[in-house]
Parts: sequence; structure tokens; C-alpha cells
Amino acid sequence: MMRPRFALVLLGFVLWAALPHLLTRHMTDLLVFTAIYTVAGLGVGLLLGQCGIVNLGQAAFYGIGAYSCAYLTVELGYPNVTGFAVGAAVSVLIALVVGWPVLRLTGYFLALATLALSIIASSIFYEWDWLTGGELGIGGIPKLDFFGFKLDTPGRFYYLAWGVAFLSMLLVSNLVSSRTGLMLRGMRDSSEATASLGVDLQWLRTRVFMLSALLGSIAGSLFAHYVSFTSVQSFTVDKSIGFLLIPVLGGVRSLWGVVLGAMFVTILPEMLSQFGDIHQILFGIALVAVVVLLPDGLMGLLRQAAGKLGWSRVSA
Amino acid sequence: MSGDILKLDGVGHRFGGFTVLRSVTLSVPERGIIGLIGPNGSGKTTLFNIISGYLPLQTGTIEFRGLPLTTQSVPDRNRSGMVRTFQTPKIFERMSVLENIMVGACKITRTGMIQDLLSLPHARGEMRQIRSLAERVAGEFGLAGDLPASTLPAGQRRILEIARALAGQPKLLMLDEPSAGLNREEMQQLIAAIRRINEAGLAVLLVSHDMELMAVASAVHVLNFGEIIAKGNMAAIQQNANVREVYLGV
Repeated sequence: MMRPRFALVLLGFVLWAALPHLLTRHMTDLLVFTAIYTVAGLGVGLLLGQCGIVNLGQAAFYGIGAYSCAYLTVELGYPNVTGFAVGAAVSVLIALVVGWPVLRLTGYFLALATLALSIIASSIFYEWDWLTGGELGIGGIPKLDFFGFKLDTPGRFYYLAWGVAFLSMLLVSNLVSSRTGLMLRGMRDSSEATASLGVDLQWLRTRVFMLSALLGSIAGSLFAHYVSFTSVQSFTVDKSIGFLLIPVLGGVRSLWGVVLGAMFVTILPEMLSQFGDIHQILFGIALVAVVVLLPDGLMGLLRQAAGKLGWSRVSA
Repeated sequence: MSGDILKLDGVGHRFGGFTVLRSVTLSVPERGIIGLIGPNGSGKTTLFNIISGYLPLQTGTIEFRGLPLTTQSVPDRNRSGMVRTFQTPKIFERMSVLENIMVGACKITRTGMIQDLLSLPHARGEMRQIRSLAERVAGEFGLAGDLPASTLPAGQRRILEIARALAGQPKLLMLDEPSAGLNREEMQQLIAAIRRINEAGLAVLLVSHDMELMAVASAVHVLNFGEIIAKGNMAAIQQNANVREVYLGV
């Protein structure tokens, strides 16, 4: 007899696999963006939910990942994988160099410092047009392919994007339930006490920031290969705020909350666009409503609903 | 080898123009229990903060396990074998009792973040190891591991803080006012716990106002306005004229 939990997971998998065949191309496209934003949002959520660090700099790493792929494949003709690797390495290195001094700050000062990182990166993306193409951007980024199978439609890219998102969720879940996760939560609750127990807070924060940057970079690389075009408008401070909203809206301490948050910022605006000019106002109202009415985010709402229905728990 | 795990010699400290410690000299023998008493504002917690690295050493010297303590960070000092508790218990409110203690044991593990990310067998093994250690420590202190730490009453919070400190298998335990807020029964538990810890081989440096608790110490130092004005066993301290003047005004 099949266990209910396994049956539920199997059903979810079948539904996930079938979605591109059931949905319109446009909806599948939105789900691809949901997956990409989930990867970037996971990094921000890890910092926020486990360390209490507000990161407003994720667009910088998202941009580095995207431009690495764009420059290396289009301008220099390197294979696709090189862009992912170089973007990841550069992002992790910058996170180390910037994070080491900056992560000594706390609270608003740290949030402002990460915001400054995003502003500086945005300016560099604009000014270094020899590398980024400036306002014109870089087009013609090749589609990813696996052994000749080209991921050139939303339906095909969907599986890769969600595969990366699920893998990232699994890795973050491993981290949160490990001894590193324990130290992170200790640091969030009382940094003074955690330090007194032999935990090097500075190095711990920096490593998590590096991991967050890595996820941001991978998301940016996926984005570049999916849309085949990068421009400065995609990596502004607005994007960093959007990435921060993802875990805040979904629920900062829940991996699935990040997915819900990513859906909120990608799918809801599209649904509201049918209302014409006021759609952005409506999105703003929805955003404020979630933040004010749902302190535990959308995942908290789901948990409440599950509790009322008598289900044992909704997995974090 | 002197047999002292901790030695302070001429330790002084100023906050701006205000001198809070003047040439404090004391030592804690290995496997000894040393008490430090003094009225409010006498500099006890400042001294604790200097030893544990929260405040810089301005004058004098500190040696721990034969090595000088100068600019080592708080975590480095902990890793060298000393651990402290706080005047107001700093427990991890959003974690369970067991998780609190597990954080205390993390430093004895060797896995890195990448092994944790990949959930490699070694990382999982070490996680099981610190869980089992934390369960044992919680049991020794009569703590229910699965309770949320935020639900513990004041006395149990102090006990949890001590249990958490011990999970890292230190050589010196520094307790800052551990009896504050404890009821009679909890106080007896605390005294028994300190004796048990000491019998297991740990040195203890104890700061407290509480004379009953100080009875566990083999020697007591009295700090007043940043100076050691008396030292000896508890009976001698209670008879000391300077101490009686400070505490009783007679």
C-alpha cells in the first residue's frame, strides 16, 4: 500500500512535469521566471530567515551571472558552461571581498551597505559598456543545449530552471538542518551568546553571503540564456528589492514560501495587467496587504489553512 | 607548571576617565572553584568581559592554560577552552532546549559548510553525535529537550545556559550571577550541578552576590571599587573587617 505522503509527492511530481503541456506558452514562461527568481530569492531568504540579514544587493550578483554568460559566449565564443562557472566564481569572490568588512555591520546599516552594493553594481553595468554593452545590452546569447537537445522554448527551459530551483532548495534545506543551520539560528537569536560558544560570526556570515551570491549568479546566468539578451534595466536596485520581497512575501523561514513569493512577484502582476493602467497600484495594494496581514507570509496562510482542515503539517 | 588554569596579574580598566578596575590579581587553579563577590558596580562583570574577550585588556596580563590572552577574539578564547554565561541569560529563544545545547556543541565538530550543504555522511554523523551529546547533557540537568526554550521559566533558563556552555566540553566555566532569579529548589540544583561539574574536572570562576552559593568556592575574592580587598575561604571572608564594612557598613 502506497503511503499518503509518497503518493502526494508523486502526484506533485506528475503535475509539475505535465504543467508545460497543460499551460499556455505565456504561463509556462512565467513559471520559468518563477523558478529563476526562486533560485535568487533562496539566497536572500537564507540570509534573512536564518541570519536576520537584509540583503538588498542580490541584483548585483544576478547581473554578474548574466553578463558573464553574455560576454563569454557572445563576445569571446566560449562554451555556455564557462559563463556559469566564471559568473559564480566572480560573484563568490566579490561576496567574500565585500562581505568580510561589510558584514561587521548590523541592522539598517548593513541593509544600506548591501543597497550601496546594488547601486554601485548597477552603475558599473551601465558605465562599462565595453563589457556589458551599456544601455544597448548584449543580444544573441545562445540557448542552452544538452547533447544537442536545445532548450529554446519555455516548455523545454522549464525543466532545467525548476531542476536548478529544486536542487538549490535541497541544498539550502540540507544546510538549514545541519550544524551550520544551528549556528545561523543561534546567531539570529543572540549573536553575543553564539560568539561566546566559539562560533566565528564574521566568517559564518561571510560564507552564507557567498552562498547567497552564488545562487544569485546562477539565477542571472539562467536568465541570460533564457531570454538571450541582457541589459542594465534587468539589474537595477528595483530588482534587488524584488528579490528581497520574495522571501518576505512567501515566509522567510520556509523554502516553499520562497516559491510562493516568487510566484507572487512574477504571476500576480501578469494577472493584474488585465486591469490596465491601475495594475501596478493593485499590485502595490496586494503587496502591502500580504506584508500587513500575513506576518508569516503566504506560507503562514497555507499552514493556517492546513491546520483548519486538520492536516498534520505543511512541510517547511 | 603552576597548576593554575587562569592567571590575572595587575589587570586594570578605564572607561574614559573612570577607573573601574585597579590592578586585579587572581588565579583559578585547575579543577578549582574560585568565587568573586562585590557590591554592584565593583567591576565584577567588567572583569568577566575582559577575560572572555568582550572588552580589550588595557593593563596587566592574563594567562589561560599557560598562554597569554591579548587580542584573541571571543570565539578564539572559547575554542581555547573557556566558556561563560551572562548576567541575563542569553538563550536562543526561537529554538528548542535541545537545539540550544546542540549549538554549544558545534565547536567540537569538524565538518564545513560545503559538507553540510551536500549532507555528506560525515556531516550527518557529526550532527547525530552532537544531538546525542546534547540529549545526554539535557538529561544530566533535568531539561526537557523538545520544549521551546522561550517557554522556560527564569531559573530553567539559567540552567539551560550552563548546560549549553558545558556541551562544548570546556576546561574553565565562568558563571556570571548564576543564582539570580532562582528559587530555593533551583538554587540547590545549581549548587549540586556546580559541584558535579567541578568533580568532573572543570575549573569554575563564579561571580555572585549570593553567599550561600559562594560556599561551593574553595577561595573567594572580594572586589570593591575595582580593587581586590580580601581573599580567602568563605568563613575567613565573612569575618574580614573590610568586607563587613563594605557589605554591612560595620
